Amino acid sequence: MKILILGGNGMLGPWAVKALQDRHDILLTDINDPYPEYKGEFQKLSVDDVDGVVKAAEGMDMIVNLSVLRPHRKIAFDVNTMGNYAMMLAAREHRIKRVITTGPHYQKVGQQYEEWDFDLTPDMPPAPGTRLYAHTKALGQEICRVFSERHGIQVITLLYYNMKHSWNLGGPEAPVVYHEDMVPFSTAWQDCGTAVQAAVEVPEERLASKNESFFIFPDLPHRKFDNEKTRRVLGWKPRYQVERLWNKDSRNPESNLTEAF
Amino acid sequence: MNVLITSAASATAQIIAGALGSDHTLRLTDLPGSASGDIIANELGHESETDQLVAGIDAIVNIGYQGQSGSNTHLMDYHTRRMYNLLQAASNAGVKRYINISTLKLFQDLEENLVVTEKWRSDPPAEDIELLVAHMAEYVCKEFARDRLIQVVNLRLGWPFIGDSSAGPSDTAAISHGMIGESITAALVAEELIQWQDIHVQSPVDHQRFITKTAARLLPELAGRLSS
Repeated sequence: MKILILGGNGMLGPWAVKALQDRHDILLTDINDPYPEYKGEFQKLSVDDVDGVVKAAEGMDMIVNLSVLRPHRKIAFDVNTMGNYAMMLAAREHRIKRVITTGPHYQKVGQQYEEWDFDLTPDMPPAPGTRLYAHTKALGQEICRVFSERHGIQVITLLYYNMKHSWNLGGPEAPVVYHEDMVPFSTAWQDCGTAVQAAVEVPEERLASKNESFFIFPDLPHRKFDNEKTRRVLGWKPRYQVERLWNKDSRNPESNLTEAF
Repeated sequence: MNVLITSAASATAQIIAGALGSDHTLRLTDLPGSASGDIIANELGHESETDQLVAGIDAIVNIGYQGQSGSNTHLMDYHTRRMYNLLQAASNAGVKRYINISTLKLFQDLEENLVVTEKWRSDPPAEDIELLVAHMAEYVCKEFARDRLIQVVNLRLGWPFIGDSSAGPSDTAAISHGMIGESITAALVAEELIQWQDIHVQSPVDHQRFITKTAARLLPELAGRLSS
């Protein structure tokens, strides 16, 4: 399959490319140069360049939008909102049947859900609130929904929260802290990438509608969020359970006699 | 009341300004390319100019449909990012009420025989950029109301706008200029509103398309003039 990846040089991009590159033909695009290890086809492109995105999408079977910009008041809209608009115009123009977009959990499940409720699912009505990152991503997702309903384009939205390195479970916050209160929606980077692969390859008949969202995290005991749909529909099997963050049995013995165990 | 009207060079804003001008102190604004005369040029960016624009304002009337023209990307940017900036500035300044002027055309693809009220989900077409961005502007406003940062009245007006002439036989969603002005005048002072309040307004015409009972209930000044 020929896949256009937008914003492919961010934090998620390399993991998604790693999961996809031996199985599909990829055109990687980003506003920045590709990371040094990447050897495939690349085009410098800003996701809010509508004409450029439409042109790059010609001949593609699918578009994967991994672009993200959090803090800047203008660029956040350009990337998170206008980027999805550009993607959907491109999909409509070239009759591309499936697009995959990514974002944070709270573009769907905003504070009014997260601080109050449990068993949160990705199928609840979006309530992002006004926090810039959540709000701009939610606007982008709404554009996808409207285009999907009108033009029958399959939209798959992958929602993430807290990404971890598999080797030490460290993440954006440093240093890593084990056995304390964790984000109950934490995922190893490798698994974040394989979720993109699962979304690319899931057969259409397994998707209940043309606009489906998924929470991407392994089985966690908190029951704050629910990943059942992700496992059932996408068939995604996370390799890392981030268990050292939530299970005290995984700590070293206090005696440090590790060989005895 | 000090009222800020956006997209002030537009035809809709001029109808509204004409109706409000005698009872309120108006501040008019539009983008630099459109502003002239009494209209303050403002980009609705995220810097201090927008803070200054809303300083001392009690209520904002925002033209959320057909207030702007230009490319599709300009319209999308205006109705998402610039709306966000305006609402953020208004929230920070303690503006009490934000009246978003939207359109009942968001339901135009529904069959006319359906009893469409504020409880129906709107259905914006992706191929009509003006309606798509009107929907997006509503979305931005709703999240500010959801976070309880500002009280929003989402006033969806019928179409076409009719001046002195009467509605044609196919204009089953028409609204008169007088009704536009009166509905906004009433919405500025209405007391029984929730944080996010959709209100549908059109004139009483033959084969009236949209139900206006919410407007009659919440905007009592209009009650006698709306279809019951």
